[in-house]
Amino acid sequence: MKQYAKDYTVGELMCVTLAKEIEDGDVVVLGSFTPLAYASYILAKITHAPNSCLLAYAAVDFRPFQLSFIRAESSATRGSALMWTMLEDLNSVHLKGRGDVEAISSIQADQYGNINLSVVGEYDRPKLRGPGGAGAPEVIKMHRKMIGYFPGHSKMTFVPKVDVITGTRYLIGAQERIKSGYRPGPIRYITNLCVMTKEERDKPFRIDFLHPGVKAEDVVSNTGFPLEVPSSIPETEKPTEEQVRLLREEVDPYGTLNFDFKPGKERLGYLKEMLNKELQAIGYA
Amino acid sequence: MPIENKVGKLSDITKIIKDGDKVAIGGSWLGGHPMAIIREIIRSKIKDLTAITVVGSIDIDLLIGAGCLKRLMFSFVSMEAFGLAPNFRRAIEKEGLPYDEITGLAVIIGLEAGGRNVPFLPYRGPFGSDLVKYRPEFYKNIKCPFTGEELIAAAAIVPDVAIIHAVRADKTGNIQMEGTTGTDIEMMRAAKKRIVSVEEVVPSEEIWKHPEKTKVPKFQVDMVIEAPLGAHPTSCAPHYVFDAWHIMKYMEYAASAETFKKYVQDYVMKPEWEYLEAIGGMRQASILRRLAREVKFL
Repeated sequence: MKQYAKDYTVGELMCVTLAKEIEDGDVVVLGSFTPLAYASYILAKITHAPNSCLLAYAAVDFRPFQLSFIRAESSATRGSALMWTMLEDLNSVHLKGRGDVEAISSIQADQYGNINLSVVGEYDRPKLRGPGGAGAPEVIKMHRKMIGYFPGHSKMTFVPKVDVITGTRYLIGAQERIKSGYRPGPIRYITNLCVMTKEERDKPFRIDFLHPGVKAEDVVSNTGFPLEVPSSIPETEKPTEEQVRLLREEVDPYGTLNFDFKPGKERLGYLKEMLNKELQAIGYA
Repeated sequence: MPIENKVGKLSDITKIIKDGDKVAIGGSWLGGHPMAIIREIIRSKIKDLTAITVVGSIDIDLLIGAGCLKRLMFSFVSMEAFGLAPNFRRAIEKEGLPYDEITGLAVIIGLEAGGRNVPFLPYRGPFGSDLVKYRPEFYKNIKCPFTGEELIAAAAIVPDVAIIHAVRADKTGNIQMEGTTGTDIEMMRAAKKRIVSVEEVVPSEEIWKHPEKTKVPKFQVDMVIEAPLGAHPTSCAPHYVFDAWHIMKYMEYAASAETFKKYVQDYVMKPEWEYLEAIGGMRQASILRRLAREVKFL
């Protein structure tokens, strides 16, 4: 009998939900340092997906490690089974279509499976110059599933049409994916309100699960494009007590995964607190 | 014939990097950027550079803030969890710095094409991306001559100079790396000239003990510069982590163009050993090394 946790953060709920996307044996890739994705993959690896192959930085099939704000790279490197260059990585995983999950996030996402990490506004006269997409604009097409996570579900993020298409899923339905040599899989977005999925080009995103306490109309009113709203939508499974314990005591004792959920003005203070804890852990400060 | 010696001083980079050059900068995210060389570029007042990066951070932001770039090619520039790159944003949003935003895979494949000495390489590229439309000089839709499949050609990238940071080298230029290699090796193959900063220059006997660690052979290296902590404030995995404390300080300075000038004065326009003192000297170095060592597996 599962004991569900009574006390958990929305970050922990999203983390556990994202971890469920990892199946045992999956090849799972990390790009930029995104604590929520790291915590999810490592949690999956030490629970239901011990045969998954995790890749980060140059490290391939790295041992699950305790997450920290500054040590992800050296931890992955020191625990790796193999070290690859980016070219070896993309030849073997990305271009060969062997990747299963590489969770991404984006400044804007729209109803067509497009993401925008480039600019808000006109491309040549940007209101906001974003970071660019790194691998994201292409991996969302190449990997089996396109998984996105969005800590702030709003009409600012979920827009009818992105200002700039940095990248796109491109091939969405199972038939068109298989025909072009890609493995079929859904577009699935895990947000702070819900889980929503798109499986066919001409069908809208469907709300699959609502987080505890969230109503369908909350999701609809915070989304800038039409959604399929089934008449009955199940609640997202809450984290179990054991999952919360693993996250807080083993995987992420410094609380890095909650960083993205802190309001702008609290972030620097939270960051300094985490860094101090890391210093204390090695006997400094 | 005597054994060649490619070891130079930081100030020797002006023999290789010239105003207006296209410079590929190694490292990725907050890791492994050749920061001592970057600082020396600023000290030497080299200008009008086109910087090429796959996933850049403070390396690119610093060069932009110090006014060394006339153009930028990138797939990603960010200070990651510390925020968007402030000088990068200001230069593009306010000052119209010209740039080529290319998907990460296309930059890597373009460098590989440069290294293979072919004008392009095909792949199942970013169909449907606006970047393909905006930068036809880097992307072309093509048909496979055998099967007729639609593919995307990524144009070759041939930098004038590649600069990277590595763990060790011998004086002839065999380069060993032990952590994240990113696109450093592809940049070294593609570029016309190459400079490598290393934590230490060692006798060749040390290199021969671990040939599996040698990632770049001497004939792809023109200059080796010994620069301990030369990637700071970025990491040199698995030997030291990035300096989160210095990066927070950098972000404060970089909040406005005015205060950023002071960063350049306080940290860059001084000899490299004084920079290392300014960032906390031996104590800070030992913290960063210790953090990189003390990792915990589950």
